[in-house]
Amino acid sequence: MTQSSLSRRVFLGTVSVLLVIGIWETAGRLSLVDALLLPPPSEILATTRELLQDGYRQTPLWAHLLLSLARALAGFGAAIVTGIPLGIAMGMSPVLSALIDPFVQFLRPLPKLALIPLVVLWFGIGETSKVLLIYLSTVLTIIVGAAAAVEQVRRLQLRAARALGARGFTMFRFVILPAILPDLFVTVRLAFGIGWTTLIAAEMIASEAGLGWMVVNAGAYLRTDVVMLGIVLLGATGYALDLALVGIQRWVTPWAGRG
Amino acid sequence: MTIQMTASPGLRPVQAAPLTEPLIVFEDVAKRFVEGRTGRVTTALEHLTFSVREGEFVCLLGPSGCGKSSVLDLLCDFERPSEGHIRVESAPVKAPGPDRGIVFQEALLFPWLTVLDNITFAPRLAGVPAAIYRPRADRLIALMGLAGFESHAPYELSGGMRQRAAIARAWISEPRMLMMDEPFGALDAQTRLSMQEQLLVAREATSATVLFVTHDIEEALFLADRILVLTRRPGRVAREIVVPFGRQRKYEALLADPIFTQIKREVLKELRSR
Repeated sequence: MTQSSLSRRVFLGTVSVLLVIGIWETAGRLSLVDALLLPPPSEILATTRELLQDGYRQTPLWAHLLLSLARALAGFGAAIVTGIPLGIAMGMSPVLSALIDPFVQFLRPLPKLALIPLVVLWFGIGETSKVLLIYLSTVLTIIVGAAAAVEQVRRLQLRAARALGARGFTMFRFVILPAILPDLFVTVRLAFGIGWTTLIAAEMIASEAGLGWMVVNAGAYLRTDVVMLGIVLLGATGYALDLALVGIQRWVTPWAGRG
Repeated sequence: MTIQMTASPGLRPVQAAPLTEPLIVFEDVAKRFVEGRTGRVTTALEHLTFSVREGEFVCLLGPSGCGKSSVLDLLCDFERPSEGHIRVESAPVKAPGPDRGIVFQEALLFPWLTVLDNITFAPRLAGVPAAIYRPRADRLIALMGLAGFESHAPYELSGGMRQRAAIARAWISEPRMLMMDEPFGALDAQTRLSMQEQLLVAREATSATVLFVTHDIEEALFLADRILVLTRRPGRVAREIVVPFGRQRKYEALLADPIFTQIKREVLKELRSR
């Protein structure tokens, strides 16, 4: 994308968002919609100020955000640390792939919410269960993505590397690993989206704090303003983290897509 | 079935067979592939016998799909022969290493490395000190017309420059043997000619043995000491041509040479008749 078409895109996006917020606010002010069901942006802003001062249910707003981030990143991080090596190993070893693939393929499309009862029975209602649920929802995507990335490496590229003396570990370290990095980033971004989505479900397990919990709890008390604020925070945080991943991706693999 | 161009004034005397075994020997080699799904057997090569002596520049010339590339795959141990024997330096083939370079139709540079790091990949991997490989790299970069592009990424280069970097990458370890699989096939005519000229210069400077696969008769006549014309699948040597044009070749002069035209016509007839 050229510089001018990028700035044009950003400009149009901003205009579009401001327009929607404007219509929403106007609809609220003119009482076209019930403010109890859809509070206008100005009210959500006021709620934000209130929650920043007093917190929500004895917990400061930043603590809710931080706790959710910690849970998501712990599960997600563990999924990256375990899933990428396992996926790469499966991509490189047809035997290992054949042994593990049935389980991966069974679990991957399974709605992870179905696992909540088991996870709670096995690991209780503490932090372990919440992190584990996020882990389970992301690790399978990462395994499949990493294995596919290895299988995508061109045979001709490997032959060229072999002719230059790459074997075994050096082939892996200096050829396969850099070759799959761009695909790994795509996988990690996809997995992060799934993990962040699962956060709400994870925080439904006997929580007392966290953005996901806040949204569900506020819904039960008809605090739609708090619900909306939670949604905005969840969305914005997810967006920001994805942008950060894209930034790291551009920095680490500037050649991606230009082979 | 060797064509003897006895009447030509530019003829290089045919060397007497040396006592030592040639660098590369193919003895009655066959290569068959079984298609995974249909189980149908394709015979790529059959009764293929030829040899390449140390220091020779040999072109394998044949129509597409005659198994030319299979020859290189066998020679690199990427594939095993179904029948027959292949020996390199009097020993069974082993996987290629830096002493036996290979250049493919595509450059296949590593996109995550700079041009310089691509070229120096093999010596760095082998733990060769920079003091040794760096001057070589600089010489090759100058020879291949890549000066000033050392720290560029491969995707910032033109197709011709990429291919030159790939040749430099194969050449830096000073291989005794260079295998090239239609390396200039994807380039435009002007770039191809200048690459061919650079290859001859580089080869003259290093006296490496080159086995060069192509389907282009003019290319083969311009580059090779000897041409092996392969038949259509299953490929075997239909004809051997000792190219009578010395080592200092000018493309323009060759085009005007009646012998060039004569050999070209005969080879064309040979290729068409099958």
